[in-house]
Amino acid sequence: MDFSFSSDQQLLKNSARAFLDEHVKPAQVRLLWDDPRGESEALWKEMAQLGWLGLALPEDAGGSALGLVETAILQEELGRAACPSPYLSTVLAAMAIDRFGSPAQKSRWLPAVAGGGARATVALMERALDWSPQSIETRAEERGGKVALSGVKQFVPWAHVADVILVPALSGSTPAVYVVEASAPGVSVTPLTTLDPGTRVAQVTLDGAAVAAEAKLPADALAFLLQRGAVGAAAEMLGAARRCLDMAVEYAKVREQFGQPIGSFQAIRHKCAEMLLEVENSHAATYYAAWALASGAEDGALAASVAKSYVSDASRKVCGDAIQVHGGIGFTWEYDLHLYFKRAKALEPLYGDAEHHRELIVRRVAS
Amino acid sequence: MDLNLSPEDRAFRDQARAWFQRNVPRAELKTLEERRAWHRTMYDAGYVGMGWPTEYGGRGATPMQQAIAADEMARANAPAPINGLGVGFIGPTIIIHGTPEQKQRYLRKILTAEEMWCQLYSEPNSGSDLASLRTRAEDRGDHFLVNGQKIWTSGGHIADWGILLARSDPGVAKHKGISCFLFDMRQPGVEVRPLKQITGSSEFNEVFMTNARAEKRDLIGRLGQGWEIAQTTLGFERGGNSMARVTRYASAFDRLVDAAKKIERGGKPLLEDPVVRAKLGNVYAEMEVQRYAALRVLSALQKGASPGAASSITKLSYSEFEKRYYELCLEILGPYGQVTDGGLEETTLDVDSSSGVRSSWAYAFLWARAGTIYSGSSEIQKNVIGERVLGLPKEIRADRVAKA
Repeated sequence: MDFSFSSDQQLLKNSARAFLDEHVKPAQVRLLWDDPRGESEALWKEMAQLGWLGLALPEDAGGSALGLVETAILQEELGRAACPSPYLSTVLAAMAIDRFGSPAQKSRWLPAVAGGGARATVALMERALDWSPQSIETRAEERGGKVALSGVKQFVPWAHVADVILVPALSGSTPAVYVVEASAPGVSVTPLTTLDPGTRVAQVTLDGAAVAAEAKLPADALAFLLQRGAVGAAAEMLGAARRCLDMAVEYAKVREQFGQPIGSFQAIRHKCAEMLLEVENSHAATYYAAWALASGAEDGALAASVAKSYVSDASRKVCGDAIQVHGGIGFTWEYDLHLYFKRAKALEPLYGDAEHHRELIVRRVAS
Repeated sequence: MDLNLSPEDRAFRDQARAWFQRNVPRAELKTLEERRAWHRTMYDAGYVGMGWPTEYGGRGATPMQQAIAADEMARANAPAPINGLGVGFIGPTIIIHGTPEQKQRYLRKILTAEEMWCQLYSEPNSGSDLASLRTRAEDRGDHFLVNGQKIWTSGGHIADWGILLARSDPGVAKHKGISCFLFDMRQPGVEVRPLKQITGSSEFNEVFMTNARAEKRDLIGRLGQGWEIAQTTLGFERGGNSMARVTRYASAFDRLVDAAKKIERGGKPLLEDPVVRAKLGNVYAEMEVQRYAALRVLSALQKGASPGAASSITKLSYSEFEKRYYELCLEILGPYGQVTDGGLEETTLDVDSSSGVRSSWAYAFLWARAGTIYSGSSEIQKNVIGERVLGLPKEIRADRVAKA
């Protein structure tokens, strides 16, 4: 039993940290916040070259065939940098196509994702704000060998830059996940402006959007997407929280009031200790879940729900407490803390919010 | 990263599981002698003092195997071994700091629980500020004369021996004037009074020492080294039992779910109430995170890391969680959670809470208040984490300023 990263995993973490420190500084993040597209083509190509986009994809698709732990390591670093990027949604969709897709779907999308030529996303939310299959309102109707999709998907991450969107819909009463090209007629994307300009979301309207009848993944893909999305989001939130903790501790060592560094006051020191506790527990929760899903452990789905619900609360607290430790400076636009505070907050409702995952936990352990 | 048990550990677990299933006492153990006999059975089977070196009667087991055995013990709902402080940290303290004579005299009887041990550290005016302790040990040539009062001595009423911190030199800085002794509890001049706690029970005692003796041969380490010794060994109390602790929480959770199915509110079982479900989901997630964190600590111990100050994170985490956990249990159970006797079978707890006592939800709820106070309060743990893990500056303290 070994909970620590292997040397390869540690190497991946270190190199990701070094790359992001160099290329995704807070100033770059702010530029992308102001960019209409919100992400950088050049950065995306670099991620492809570094092998990040194909990390968990098979080698014959140009990937590295690594697992969810490695993906989580990268996602933590991306969260730590508050990097604006459709990384999580793209990798998630690609992993589902890899797991459930036909050979044709795989050859169409996986090399394109791994090579940086395609972005993808998943449309898991609707008006009901419930992630259960029975709440899906989007319809799939067979029309002469094709399927027409109709419905409205809400808060779809990075839909405005996606080439392909995974769309859960009901055919009769049977759910499936349709693989929809964003350029197809009947698909329209309306971007929203939200709290974190580094996590773009959009409304996706499907007005009889036509897809080939075979362009779908089985219903199992739905739970797969929710679980892996939950762990990915938890990893990003963990990264944001760790960054905020580090900034708060550094600041508490140098900021002086009443003639002493504020970190010498128990009111501040104890807050920092509580933040560390939450960050370490979040680390344990995130990587346990990543490992459990990757290794097919029987509690993988449960652990994913534990991680998302726990880390949502913990990261909000840690990032918020970091602002409190900083005082007034932490409330300014100019200071960088809010980049991470907002990133953690933005991920809370995506891939199942804490409340939904708690309900999933109860269904598993108290039936 | 690989959280699977190794084949050896899996085999060890299967063996331990089978042993506890076969041997766990069917009837409740009522007397000390019955508990001692069960302790002895476990010791003979190799499940007590497992981490001790073989030369002192242990089996030199890995941290993982110790955790597995403790976990299987909890899983089988087996009564805990007795002499926990003796086996858990006093013995190891003697192994690290003791003389060959002390090892020869004391260690084996700690393991077999032939001699019961207690810890004589806290005093009425020295809680978090333990180093301010005032119990005196005066050098009288052939022995030390001990006068003072100790408090929060768990098991003091059944102890044969205690590990004692006392001031041997009042003339030097407070941390430097403390010495550590092995102290005979069965002598004239030692009076033990039970301390009735908010639980109504008395797991702790007050100990009064009036012209009592500590023998010269029973000094541990050097004169004035007591504080240092206490620091190195306090960490023994933390970390290794975390997995078993979570297993006990999990068995309480199962009881909670059973009760939530039986108890109704507004004509429906509590378990169908969305608010109750949200609370259950929340507390289960927190409990699982305790388990994952325990595995992570265990993995580090297994690799030979010394947890050091980071063990404060573990202690802070589980003790604060336990308080929230039983608060939530009682919140969900309402008045049923407060029944200590005469309640319905399906709404009572009847598992060992962390105190090791077979008991009620109300007891577990009350007992949870102790965890964030004993063995370094949460506030002290946060100071340690802040200073030694995060490297934050030390606070300016009146006692440090005075000595400067």
